[in-house]
Amino acid sequence: MFVKNLIILLRKEFLLEFRQRYAISGIVLYVFSMVFVVYIASIKVQPQVWNILFWLIVLFASINAVVKSFVQESGARQLYYYQLADPVTLLLAKIMYNTLLLLVLSTLAFGAYSVVAGNPVKDYPLFALIILLGSLGFSIAFTFIASIAARANNSATLMAILSFPVILPILLTLVRLSAIALRLIQDTSYKRDIINLLAVDVILITLTFVLFPYIWKD
Amino acid sequence: MWWKILAVVLLIYVFIAGLLVPLKPGLVRISPETAKTGQSVTVQFHGYNTFYGKSPASEIRAWLEYDSLHATAAADLKVLSDTTLEATFHVPVNMPHESSTVMLNAILDHPVDGVSLLPGALQLVKDTVPMVGAGTWVDNPVSRLHIVKDFSYPYRNVIYESIRNTYFHVPMWFALIFLFLASVFNSLKYLRTQNIDFDRKAVAYAEAGLLFGIMGLITGMLWANYAWGKAWSNDIKQLMTAVALLIYLAYFILRSSFDEPEKGARLAAVYNIFAFASLIPLLYIVPRMFASLHPGATGNPAFGSQDLDNTMRLVFYPSIIGWTLLGFWIAQLRIRYQRLEDRVVGID
Repeated sequence: MFVKNLIILLRKEFLLEFRQRYAISGIVLYVFSMVFVVYIASIKVQPQVWNILFWLIVLFASINAVVKSFVQESGARQLYYYQLADPVTLLLAKIMYNTLLLLVLSTLAFGAYSVVAGNPVKDYPLFALIILLGSLGFSIAFTFIASIAARANNSATLMAILSFPVILPILLTLVRLSAIALRLIQDTSYKRDIINLLAVDVILITLTFVLFPYIWKD
Repeated sequence: MWWKILAVVLLIYVFIAGLLVPLKPGLVRISPETAKTGQSVTVQFHGYNTFYGKSPASEIRAWLEYDSLHATAAADLKVLSDTTLEATFHVPVNMPHESSTVMLNAILDHPVDGVSLLPGALQLVKDTVPMVGAGTWVDNPVSRLHIVKDFSYPYRNVIYESIRNTYFHVPMWFALIFLFLASVFNSLKYLRTQNIDFDRKAVAYAEAGLLFGIMGLITGMLWANYAWGKAWSNDIKQLMTAVALLIYLAYFILRSSFDEPEKGARLAAVYNIFAFASLIPLLYIVPRMFASLHPGATGNPAFGSQDLDNTMRLVFYPSIIGWTLLGFWIAQLRIRYQRLEDRVVGID
């Protein structure tokens, strides 16, 4: 039952995205514009700067991609969903969908960024793992914050100020790990960082499931 | 009521004992700061809080220490004043281990003042011209030291008198964690019961916690200005603390951005719990990934056994209790004020 609902809800998210193509194309264009702004503003990008700018691009694109997951559908329709399905299933579907979306977005950003600013990545398997972990962490934190911010009056501002402090430990760990993948720093014990990152993800997702039932009720 | 009196008594004790108890005698510097092997050098010791004149020069002993096995003792020692004395050393010709330059520790043993140590006090340079000198390295030399037990704080180079900040800077963080815990606890109770009084408590504890966070940041900046040379050096501990305070500022903004107070209270309670959980990696995991000047940065606890001696514990533990109780007192006043205000407005 749970899995069946989850699949139906996931399908709904994909359908919605497919039918409102302007949203996803807007985000993709947003990523490309940011990449080009970075390129034009700093023609030659050093690997250290490349690393930080890449994660900033992914961070801002992720916020803009996720914030719409609760804002785009009206309150009445949301209430209707909550009557049909368990809210936690609904949230899980959104998190899974957003993870996939962010994974696609960061891969696109990486591709475009490599074309214009060069590609200093040395350890591809590690870098792919980091992008996956980053998409997962961003998706959990931003989806949950978006569900809070969507109910307030100034959701766009709130989304930024609520999520930046929460995302910071994840972001700093990602920047550090990807510096290892770029061979900017030597660290053989980076597995501990990956475990830290996963631990933060587990804490966040547990809290999300415990707290979400209190958010959707009006 | 009793705990408010306890808070006042403890804090008065912390202020009086924390500011008035003297430091142990110590060595500030020695001059000259360099010497060559094989040389006879007369070194002036400059002390702090010392009473060199209180015992005859024959009972005072001084060493230049190479390592725990090698040192050379002063041949001749003269007391100039209570805070300066002069010692002559015949530096040996050879170093125990082959090297061109090495830093020696200065150790002074005084019957009244006890032992004082200045690490890396004198730079010993190997003389290129071989000479014949009288001095030798003595094996296992520094012994029979006078350990003086009295009510005073340890003398530490670099921080000196600012060691007293331990009773003000560190308890702020203990109080902050206790207050934020109380705030999260009340947010949880609010979500379970929907009783508006728990929301008032959660807000008041978060406000008091934020106040203590700002005080902790300011006392830390004062200390950093003294010990690190700059009040704000973008140290990872400072940055993460600032971010942690931003989380709680965001909490207050979130509360105020709802038209219906009940809805705002519920979502703010949810964010409060979420934020507290993300505060833990911010304060305890992330700072250990980066280099920091702060004690406890590279995996060791912020307070090792060498940072606190038994005298300091007598003031440090009461100061934690005192400041925490003061924080809860401030929060209590806020809660009572808010209850009255809500009654006047007619919410409750």
